Amino acid sequence: MLYAAPVAAVLLTMVLGAIIFSLMGYNGVGAVIEIFTRPITNPLKWQDLGIKAAPLVVIGVGLSIAYRANVWNIGAEGQYIAGAMAGTAVALLTMSMEGPWILPAMIVAGVLGGMAWGAIPALLKTEFAVNEILTSLMLNYAIVHLLYFLLRGPWRDPMGFSFPQTSLFTPSQSLPYLWQGTIMHWGVPIAVIVALVAWFVMSRSVFGFQIKVVGAAPSAARYGGFSTRNTVWLALLVSGGLAGLAGILEVAGPFRQMVPGFPTGYGFTAIIVAFLGRLNPLGVIVAGIVLAITYVGGEVAQTTIGLPSAATGIFQAMMLFLLLAGDILVRYRLKAVRPATAGETA
Amino acid sequence: MDANLPLRLELTGITKQFPGVLANDHVSFSVRPGEIHALLGENGAGKSTLVKMIYGIMQPDAGEIRWDGQPVSIPNPKSARKLGIGMVFQHFSLFEALTVLENIALGMDAKIPSRLLEAKIREVMNQYGLKLDPHRVVSTLSVGERQRIEIVRALLLTPKLLIMDEPTSVLTPQEVDQLFIVLRKLAAEGCSILYISHKLHEIKALCDTATILRAGKVVDTCDPGIETSRSMAEKMIGGNLKDIVKQGGRSLGEPAFTISHLSLPAAGPFGTDLEDISFSVRKGEVFGIAGVAGNGQNELLLALDGEVASAPGAIAMDGHPVGQLHTSARRKRGLCAVPEERNGHAAVGDFTLSENTVLTARNRLGMVSAGLIKAGAARTFTGEVIAAFAVKALGPGATAGSLSGGNLQKYIMGREILQKPTVLVVNQPTWGVDAGAAAAIHQALVDLAASGSAIVVISQDLDELLSLCDTLAVINEGRLSARMNVGEVSVEEIGLLMGGVHGTPEETHIAPGGEHAVPA
Repeated sequence: MLYAAPVAAVLLTMVLGAIIFSLMGYNGVGAVIEIFTRPITNPLKWQDLGIKAAPLVVIGVGLSIAYRANVWNIGAEGQYIAGAMAGTAVALLTMSMEGPWILPAMIVAGVLGGMAWGAIPALLKTEFAVNEILTSLMLNYAIVHLLYFLLRGPWRDPMGFSFPQTSLFTPSQSLPYLWQGTIMHWGVPIAVIVALVAWFVMSRSVFGFQIKVVGAAPSAARYGGFSTRNTVWLALLVSGGLAGLAGILEVAGPFRQMVPGFPTGYGFTAIIVAFLGRLNPLGVIVAGIVLAITYVGGEVAQTTIGLPSAATGIFQAMMLFLLLAGDILVRYRLKAVRPATAGETA
Repeated sequence: MDANLPLRLELTGITKQFPGVLANDHVSFSVRPGEIHALLGENGAGKSTLVKMIYGIMQPDAGEIRWDGQPVSIPNPKSARKLGIGMVFQHFSLFEALTVLENIALGMDAKIPSRLLEAKIREVMNQYGLKLDPHRVVSTLSVGERQRIEIVRALLLTPKLLIMDEPTSVLTPQEVDQLFIVLRKLAAEGCSILYISHKLHEIKALCDTATILRAGKVVDTCDPGIETSRSMAEKMIGGNLKDIVKQGGRSLGEPAFTISHLSLPAAGPFGTDLEDISFSVRKGEVFGIAGVAGNGQNELLLALDGEVASAPGAIAMDGHPVGQLHTSARRKRGLCAVPEERNGHAAVGDFTLSENTVLTARNRLGMVSAGLIKAGAARTFTGEVIAAFAVKALGPGATAGSLSGGNLQKYIMGREILQKPTVLVVNQPTWGVDAGAAAAIHQALVDLAASGSAIVVISQDLDELLSLCDTLAVINEGRLSARMNVGEVSVEEIGLLMGGVHGTPEETHIAPGGEHAVPA
């Protein structure tokens, strides 16, 4: 049943999506076929799938670890941007330099940037008991404005005709392609490696055990010698760090410069990826591909049948709703009751 | 009792199947009007299932329930109450922040104006000598008083059958006597009582008939007045009961675990402050802490095992202060502990037994190297615990939540005892555990003490403490009494200390010639 709910959620999303878009006057069945099958049947779209799935998987893996610990980090989008910005800062400082150390330095900065943005909700939660859902969510919006400020001011490309964007990264600052002539960059294999390492750590290590036991039973964790406070920090630093990694890989890969359009909501979509992947890093790979299909397919459907761009978001949201609803129905059964049972004390 | 009256309750061939378990297998017995009928059996024998079917929480797959001679079906608790069946559950369903009156009003099927309800409550309380102020807030009440709310709640419906599930497990001996007076009075008025308990001497003292269940079947219906506690226990477990074997000539060594002036404020509004607790346990000694639930036992366990830090010098092991050390550091020094709550505290229900072994035994038994868990070592040790403590489980890969309460307790006790701790602190080691398993746990504790470990047993079960411990003290409202040698102290004395300031003078009055004898 554990793995049936996500599959059922995806299938139901297709059915409901077809109905909704038919009622809106589109070719609903056609839309679903375009979105869910065209990216798979057309080999030209496979590399699109790969580069869309990579950041989703990297962020989703981090979130799946945090959520296992019952730490509800909703700020992956902000941590993703913070990581990309930290990496960009290194890139802008090394514009005139060359060398193989520059890209690794950017990646390290990216991870640290994501961690730093994740550390704020961790500090507020452990020191002042502030709910991490609220703080991490609000910090998403704060960082976007910091980004806009930097792009319109200190970071603006002097040769860029006043467009709010940085200079293009140099080759030493860009993520190489796997094969010349494709758009497949190194972020894709890195995402798979991240997921495999996370799976191993979560299933075999004391760290993974700590995360799971704190999430499943905080009292038992304390009895077993695991500190909840310590775990909150670890969860937010790991998920923030991985979101930051995804951010720097994205900016040094497909973007190759920082632009105002960089935040595309991967950090939010990755929440769906984490849940659809059952908070299991291997499941997150599959879920990342499914969500990438909706992105790529959504673009296909825009051109072929004129579906609005919001359609992608609608499909993604339905998937999460149906999955959460499905999980409830797996655990509980609906039962018709008469209203007059208010006095039961059993 | 008039033999011509129809039977109050008659069960014929009641069968209930759960996936993989036949919980009740053609159970038949009957209860006469005014009879106090005991339902006895080990954990998992099917008592709860049976009672749930009588109270309408579950439906039997087969069989017939007759009520006053008429076949009935009881689809839900509400219709059970309509028939006149009342039930007092082992775990109370009370809102701590509300008053007695508000709690009772919430539980009523019919809405009654509160003044009328209060008058009715006072009437019932006067009739049965139950002392309770309807306007007290529940959080300020002792467990015995809380149970009285549940009893009053059931009595307000003037039941013809009252089901009591393990009612005395949380009461002082004096409160037990008080409860028995109420139950006898009820029975004399014609109300039948179905009394579920594993305390055999209470059943002997109170009940007219006992039906013994084993593995879902009725194995015997007997007169507890004629049977001995031992014979009933052996019928329950279907074998011979082992006595605790204490090796003679045991000498107690140096103090291994010393608590001096331990004070801790309560963690929450319904917690208990610990005030100036001092005691010392020698090597080889079993030290008992008696007391009614909610007097600081849980807080004390958390302080002793390191889940809550205290002043550095307040707790010492072999002379080293450990008050500031957390649980893992104390475990490394040799202190193991078993908290009262099995699910979610001593074990994680969703985890396998192997994983639950990793929870507490990973460092003492070398189950971790380079940050990775040695799953094989955990599995082997878990297998040893399962074998040594006869845990009924599918194996180390079974989830803790799939075990019955008693089996899980055996596993948890085994997990800690087989780590060979130098100090072991246990809270309620045999709570909800059947007689056979309890005897095994007691023997393991005594053997561990014989090998030189210092053991602290916190329990509400006085019989357990008296048979197990060398010395004991009583905890009341977060304060610990002076230590007493078992064998030099009477149950009445302990009971008075347990009652502390909760009891009124009438309640703590010692009945001459009480039925409690102190085993020497």
